[in-house]
Amino acid sequence: MDETPVLELRGITKQFPGILANDHIDFDLRDGEVHALLGENGAGKSTLMNIVYGLYSADDGEIAIKGKRVQLSSPHDAIDRGIGMVHQHFMLIPVMTVTENIVLATEPRTGGVLLDYSAARQRVLELSKRFNFAIDPDAKIQNITVGQQQRVEILKALYRNADILILDEPTAVLTPQEATELFAILKDLVAQGLSIIFISHKLNEVLDIADRITVLRRGKKVETIPREGATEEGLARSMVGREVLLRVDKTNARPGDKLLEVEDLRVLDDRELEVVRGVSFDVHGGEIVGIAGVDGNGQTELIDALAGLRKPAGGRILIGEKELTGASAHVRLEEGLGHIPEDRQRRGLVLDFSLAENIALHDYDKPPFSRWGWLNPRRVIERASRLLTEYDVRGGAPRTLAGALSGGNQQKVVLAREISRNPRVLIAAQPTRGLDVGAIEFVHKRLVAERDTGRAVLLVSLELDEILSLSDRILVLYEGQIVREFSPDVGEEELGIAMTGGRRGEAAA
Amino acid sequence: MTDVPPDLDLEPREPEPLAASPTAYAPSVAERLAILQRAGGVIVPVMTAIFAFLMGGIVVAATGHNPLKVYKGIISGTGLPWFVHFGHHHIDIPFTHHQVFFWWDTSVANNDAYNLQQMLIIATTLTFTGLAVAFAFRCGLFNIGGQGQYLIGVITGLWIGTKFSGMGHLPHILFAVVVASLAGALWAAIAGFLKATTGAHEVISTIMLNWIAYWIGSWVFGQGGPLQNSFNKSLPVSNDVVPSAKLWVIWGNPALQALHIGFLVALAALVAFWFTLNRTTLGYEVRAVGFNPEAARYGGISVAKNYVVAMAVAGMFAGLAGVMDMLGYQYRFGVLDVQTSQIGFIGIAVALLGRNKAIGIGLSALLFASLLYGTSTRTLDPSVFPPTLASNLTWMIQALVLLFIGADVLILYVWNARRKVLRAPRAPRPQPTGSS
Amino acid sequence: MVARAETPRWTGLGARQIAVGGILLGCFAFLVALPPITARAQWWPPLLGILAIGAGIWSLTRGARRPGWFAIAAGILGVGLGILATQASSGNLDYVVNWAPLFSAMFVFATPLTYAALGGMFSERSGVVNIGLEGMMLTGAFFAVLGADKLGNWFFGIVCAIIAGGLLALIHAFVSIHLRADQIVSGTAINFLALGVTGYFFYKVYGEQGTPGSISQVPDRPRLGFLSHIPWAGHFLYEVFGTLNLLIWFAFLMLIVSHIVVFRTPIGLRIRAVGEHPRAADTVGISVYGVRYAAVVLSGMLAALGGAYLSIGFVGSFNENMTAGRGFIGLAALIFGNWRPFGAFAAALLFGFSTALAFRLGQPWGNAAVLFQALPYVLTLIAVAGVIGRSIPPAASGRPYRKQ
Repeated sequence: MDETPVLELRGITKQFPGILANDHIDFDLRDGEVHALLGENGAGKSTLMNIVYGLYSADDGEIAIKGKRVQLSSPHDAIDRGIGMVHQHFMLIPVMTVTENIVLATEPRTGGVLLDYSAARQRVLELSKRFNFAIDPDAKIQNITVGQQQRVEILKALYRNADILILDEPTAVLTPQEATELFAILKDLVAQGLSIIFISHKLNEVLDIADRITVLRRGKKVETIPREGATEEGLARSMVGREVLLRVDKTNARPGDKLLEVEDLRVLDDRELEVVRGVSFDVHGGEIVGIAGVDGNGQTELIDALAGLRKPAGGRILIGEKELTGASAHVRLEEGLGHIPEDRQRRGLVLDFSLAENIALHDYDKPPFSRWGWLNPRRVIERASRLLTEYDVRGGAPRTLAGALSGGNQQKVVLAREISRNPRVLIAAQPTRGLDVGAIEFVHKRLVAERDTGRAVLLVSLELDEILSLSDRILVLYEGQIVREFSPDVGEEELGIAMTGGRRGEAAA
Repeated sequence: MTDVPPDLDLEPREPEPLAASPTAYAPSVAERLAILQRAGGVIVPVMTAIFAFLMGGIVVAATGHNPLKVYKGIISGTGLPWFVHFGHHHIDIPFTHHQVFFWWDTSVANNDAYNLQQMLIIATTLTFTGLAVAFAFRCGLFNIGGQGQYLIGVITGLWIGTKFSGMGHLPHILFAVVVASLAGALWAAIAGFLKATTGAHEVISTIMLNWIAYWIGSWVFGQGGPLQNSFNKSLPVSNDVVPSAKLWVIWGNPALQALHIGFLVALAALVAFWFTLNRTTLGYEVRAVGFNPEAARYGGISVAKNYVVAMAVAGMFAGLAGVMDMLGYQYRFGVLDVQTSQIGFIGIAVALLGRNKAIGIGLSALLFASLLYGTSTRTLDPSVFPPTLASNLTWMIQALVLLFIGADVLILYVWNARRKVLRAPRAPRPQPTGSS
Repeated sequence: MVARAETPRWTGLGARQIAVGGILLGCFAFLVALPPITARAQWWPPLLGILAIGAGIWSLTRGARRPGWFAIAAGILGVGLGILATQASSGNLDYVVNWAPLFSAMFVFATPLTYAALGGMFSERSGVVNIGLEGMMLTGAFFAVLGADKLGNWFFGIVCAIIAGGLLALIHAFVSIHLRADQIVSGTAINFLALGVTGYFFYKVYGEQGTPGSISQVPDRPRLGFLSHIPWAGHFLYEVFGTLNLLIWFAFLMLIVSHIVVFRTPIGLRIRAVGEHPRAADTVGISVYGVRYAAVVLSGMLAALGGAYLSIGFVGSFNENMTAGRGFIGLAALIFGNWRPFGAFAAALLFGFSTALAFRLGQPWGNAAVLFQALPYVLTLIAVAGVIGRSIPPAASGRPYRKQ
């Protein structure tokens, strides 16, 4: 290593209340390389990069840029030293134009006072030409695609003369084509002299794009290796620290009656784009149907439509024999739908309600919990304490506020509520997101047990492992359509190819 | 510092999904309220009030008066000294030979007793207007339209109270009270309906409704207006409430605006407020929507319906304030009253200082009523402190109470930050001064 | 984001122009029945009104939603009012509809609203809701009188007003930016505080007899005598613009300056960025707190100017609570004008006109004319409800920002 790295981190440590997010991490970025930072959710990647970008300050350790030790206490410092960052959630103002967003805070002026919009526009055009970005400088952010927005973010950094570019999980929000285009852009940038840090938890894309790979696990650095010689298996092992596959013991499914039927369902998202485009499937009692797919392929809207939280634009939804396409959430619950929501804190629980009140969320208005509009707190609490014991919820009595529980226990409360209602159809959306291994096991076992009692379980998850180990049938959702159906003994690779629309998988193979 | 979902052994994520909603990273009214609720305790509101009075005292001292004397003068005007007329007094229990002994003078004829009655009358109104703010707050809505809803209650209450003189006492009062509270409810429900259907912010719409009510009031009581009096056409004032619509007096001399039955209704309303919120399905829904509308919706609760209902209940309380005030205390209202009345706005301070809880509202209504009545021209000795100054001092103290309520969120944040780090993950937990 | 997606796109300039034509026709439907034309035939207003409604519907179907609705509303109103006017006696009409004084009064009434609305715009554009405008205005009104009286010159009165308004706004800024208090609570507190402070010191300084009559007032200048020499319209123009108060002219100036600052300068870009997406602004190195402090203090100063106009420009004295809700109408104008300077100004003119008309109508109609004063609030209520194209506030307004 003869040349000085453009960015060097030594012994970076960052403690958050209760969590050691970064534990003496060393890291270096060489001139003109793409250096991937690989790790599971929560390994400390984003924290580390937020420290580099001046958003957090490290408790310990030092940062050197081109051999010079620096103090980065705000994004401003980082920008001044040529660091640009593209956040996972874009920092763009929807109602403003591309140009306005790019020049914000470094605006060209006329006469020292007025904003020189035409000069700004000109610069943006030049930059976007130089790097082959097809961007309309006058378009409003809210009217361009996510992929274009990401390019605007990159332009923002380039406009500020960044030579170190940090990309935080840039492909998470992209379609496969957009991701391919992004990779081409990144190669272009490197060719023009930039150095790039690429944060990701996806093995295949890291092997695709990176020159070197640093793996983090639970706030610690595991290793830094060149791409040559790195294998998916090896990386996976160092990322997770154990064998990757989690198999759940279960018998073969014994499918019964058709309990959930979806026909040609079409759903619009908040921007009124059709993101579920004619989905049809059914789930029988006694089986788990898994819906696999990369994030943002219409999963959220599909679940919302099934749960009655979003009006479908077309198609039919039947539970049992009954058509419930336009029915409210309330009616669907009555008809035997159970729903473990994607985000338990935003949607699944009222954190300021007690556990007992949370458990009563669907049936507070039915006897014996209330009569003639009067609540019967005693019954509510009795039932809650029974369920809390049954589901092994720790750290909470019926009167404890839900917000005081840990995530795993919160999820158990949600599970207890949804399952105890004895639903015919159970939708589980990302049921183990953010849970520790023990809690994951609990949830998985419970879902299988519910299947075995004859419920129809629809599992929607981004975790391939989860889909593979739980499902009896696997449907692949890609760009709002079910593109393939697999049996659970399908290879992970084949599934991955289908999930990415077949294109990226083939390229990697 | 940022949110650390402690359950995930993850690095802290970005506090909230930013791109999804650029507005998502601040606590909503309801979240904020939740923090206040959880912090519970009486210490903070008490400190708030003490600070406000201290700062008011500083203003008084700075302008050349003795704050201690001033506050003493105010307190002596509130009627509270009635409780400390020491001695040996008793009340006969009717139809028996028994007597109940009190350590204060139970005579109702003295000046303090009269002042106390007056103060309690004002507390009655403030309780209602405070409840009007609090109930909406518990549903996550900021109802600053209490004043307008109060005026609507006043107008409809007077309309019925000054007419229909042939009716019996009880039916007439019930008629007036029911219609006026329904009118207040409808008026407030407009804001709830607009919020539910179009998303119009309730703060803006209730402000607008306040002023619409204000001009309606100016019209109906003004010259040639439908409710103007029949005895002097140059006077922009209503007729007096007819005897059959006057509220029963429970304490004091009816000829001198004595404490009316509305006081008991206000106490009942406090109880009803608590019961409705904590013991009915309606209250359950309202609180669920207030804490987390998204979860409520997921749970099958209609958020839109609850916005309308919560505003209607709030408006009903404010309408009650108006009609009770007319039938039991003021008996008439004029354009000048429409323009100077602020009792609905004071309800905001009452509710916030009372932490939007029944007991708190009752106590802070008493506090503000004491302040209002103690500084009025009727009671305050001008040689101690001119009442014109004192009534403005009242405004300042109320303003300070509200400002400190804002400031104490900071104290609570700091207070809770340490305690809750490992517990409630989504609770807003910023740094002490935000200066990192 | 949902609301944004629903934002009416003013596609098709043609449709929009037709709609504007419709609005004008609708107004004209009313105008023909008024002096100086005074068409007495009842069929004139309906004829023009129906044309206006037709134009409105036509442009509605072609995507110009908001102007289309306006045209329809103007048509309906025009027909109604026009028919009413043809029924009224010409004597009353001539008294009420005396255009020159009506316009002149419109500017008088609109000026305080304009100041308040411009102030509110800066604050809300930066993401801080300011319902304390009323209090800041009241403070300005009082301290303008105090300064003009004690320092002997209206200019110092204005300076005092600006300083006092700025300081009051600073309290709002500190509580709602640094302490992240609820901005509505804080704004309400500011209104109470202003009521208390001005009332307290008013009685402390002036006692029961009120402010002296000899206070130095802002002059009506410049006197544009030359206007009356313009042929044909000269007399009219002179009556409307000839003797406006200096502070009214200054309001026009501030209007233009505000527009340029907000939409044509880097400062404005940053203010808007902070109000829309503070974290985005923060990540490019803009001080969110700094921008918000500056904007809120500026809003207090502008609102105070409006108050100063009221006390030492228009009335020449101070009374307790003399602003009487004008700060709130300013807020309404801001919302009705969709958080844009000229939009807010147009709304302020409309509201000012309705007040002026209410005063004039007082003669034939009596007290019922006060109902006209509720018009601004009704219109704003309709505007926020989105019946005629929703008014959309800056995305982050009302949301305290927490630094990382």
